[in-house]
Amino acid sequence: MGITRRYVLRTGWKIGGGMLALLAGWTSWELLRPLTASGATGKIKLGSPANFTAGTATFVNQGRLWVANADGHLFALSQKCPHLGCRVPFCESSGQFECPCHGSVFNIAGEWITGPSPRGMDQHPLTVENDELVVDTSKKINGADHGSNKFPTDSKGPACAGKG
Amino acid sequence: MIDQEAASGEQIRDGLEPDVYPVAEGRWQRLKHTDAWRSMFRHPQLDTPRGRALQGFSNVFLHVYPVKVPRRVLRLRYSWRLGFIATVLFWILVVTGVYLMFFYTPSVTAAYGDMQQLRTGIGFGQLIRNVHRWSAHLMVLVVVLHLVRVFFAGAYKKPREFNWVIGIGLLAVTLGFSFTGYLLPWDQLSYWAVTVGTNLVNYVPIFGGILTDLLIGGPQIGQPTLQRFYALHVAVLPLLLALFLMVHIWRVRKDGFAVRRGAAGAFAEGANELVGSESAADATDATDATDEPAIPAATALALANGDRVRLLGVVDRESVTAEERLTDDTVFAWPHLIVRHVVVALGTIATVLALGVAFAAPLRDIANPNLTPEPAKAPWYFVGLQELLSHFDPLIAGIFVPAGVLLTLAFLPYFDKNPHTESKYRKVAISVFATILVIAVVLTVIGALFRGPGWKFVPPWQHSYLEM
Ligand code: FES
Repeated sequence: MGITRRYVLRTGWKIGGGMLALLAGWTSWELLRPLTASGATGKIKLGSPANFTAGTATFVNQGRLWVANADGHLFALSQKCPHLGCRVPFCESSGQFECPCHGSVFNIAGEWITGPSPRGMDQHPLTVENDELVVDTSKKINGADHGSNKFPTDSKGPACAGKG
Repeated sequence: MIDQEAASGEQIRDGLEPDVYPVAEGRWQRLKHTDAWRSMFRHPQLDTPRGRALQGFSNVFLHVYPVKVPRRVLRLRYSWRLGFIATVLFWILVVTGVYLMFFYTPSVTAAYGDMQQLRTGIGFGQLIRNVHRWSAHLMVLVVVLHLVRVFFAGAYKKPREFNWVIGIGLLAVTLGFSFTGYLLPWDQLSYWAVTVGTNLVNYVPIFGGILTDLLIGGPQIGQPTLQRFYALHVAVLPLLLALFLMVHIWRVRKDGFAVRRGAAGAFAEGANELVGSESAADATDATDATDEPAIPAATALALANGDRVRLLGVVDRESVTAEERLTDDTVFAWPHLIVRHVVVALGTIATVLALGVAFAAPLRDIANPNLTPEPAKAPWYFVGLQELLSHFDPLIAGIFVPAGVLLTLAFLPYFDKNPHTESKYRKVAISVFATILVIAVVLTVIGALFRGPGWKFVPPWQHSYLEM
């Protein structure tokens, strides 16, 4: 018994093969891993908070987000639906966000009303610096859970989705 | 000069050579007697059983087929030729895909323009793209039908379990092809279908984030995504598919052609495994790979004389008694099977050409990350999943259900141990499978035909929102 030549060779092959596989995996990962984002992230100045009147939602293209005013409370809502990432448009007639992909609906504060989305719309932190509204797009706050709504969920008119 | 060649042709005749050899008459025949010709084609074309067998053995392409196949394989009902049609569609996709590669740039600034150019500026460009698209749709359909057919025939059972698993792998690769190819035109349809698809991956427990990042290659779908999908579509997936397909077809032969097995299952199975339902000729063929050229020659000869061939070297002693075949029920693959295959291949080509002429592949507006079109639908084979997603939590509907179905399917042969292939003995398996199938079809039909903007219910007679 003891260590035989055959045992050493077999183990050697296994270790060598394992190392090779690891190296291959590492190389592929280094090659294929996504490059960290540049440009679009960071702080965006939005001007005076008074520009955003109650009951409106304004799209900010630079940050791909909506600035919504719910009864005087301002929110920076990510345009990306928490469900599967479709862009959520604001429907003027109903005063709600309506996702065209699978029918999730959110109120003007981004809170979940109906549909398959697991939570409300994601937000970015908003601050006021020198009377100017600033949104930090590098940070994301997950949307509120179902049933924790603080703002009204009824629509003010007919929905946009479903009309073609 | 000519005499000399004929003489040297005489010299290279060996033990494999049939006795009958066509006389060198006319230019064409003399050409076929030259050394150069004989270096390419070892054996003359002889319409004798032995000649056909030799040609099959010595030709790499014909060698894909067994020299002889059981007569039942010739019947259309045996397989409906679905596996073969899928293979033909794959080759059509390779050819049209290569054409498209000459004109397509995988860049977000150029891709859409290339598609427009293909449509208007390049002769037959639109037709090639249409044929590519329709073949892709048909391939998904045919691969699924093939799976359904094999299931109902019980042909996934021992000894074909592993080939079934490879088949499921082929289905997954086929869907991967569709998904990656979908993004390439870079229009609204592709952008949003792929957005929905990649966000689905996000819900995979633990690795979801990393997987999505790897697939997208950046914070959102953009240039890195397009390039990745392109590389997957034109290089990685074709290689994978070719590899799987090779093993799949090889195993169809080596595992034997499926037989319907009833109550007498056990015995038939034993005989099957040992010598196989492979014909005697196929067994002969198996030895063809050995180093000794004399053996296949001998067996081929025996075969030609109508003797049964038994390879004692590779067969268990018991099986020799098990394998008692009274009549030879096999026919030559050439011409009987191959001619049928040519007809089916031509029919397939004609079908996709007709579809390509009749219906243009869609091209919407250029991809716009700021505008989700209404409705944003996935391609039809994923639309059932999308329908499911509108009812359930994405983790359940998007990950657990499809992965569960795929895994269950893949390992089906290992837990369905029932040896019978006749439906009256497999009531449970058939009813479960049929139920899943019906649910999938119903979900797909609802999603594809009955859903409009906002995923609201719109019957197709009011307005059709079908996306192909
Ligand atoms: S992506 Fe918005 S509801 Fe599915």
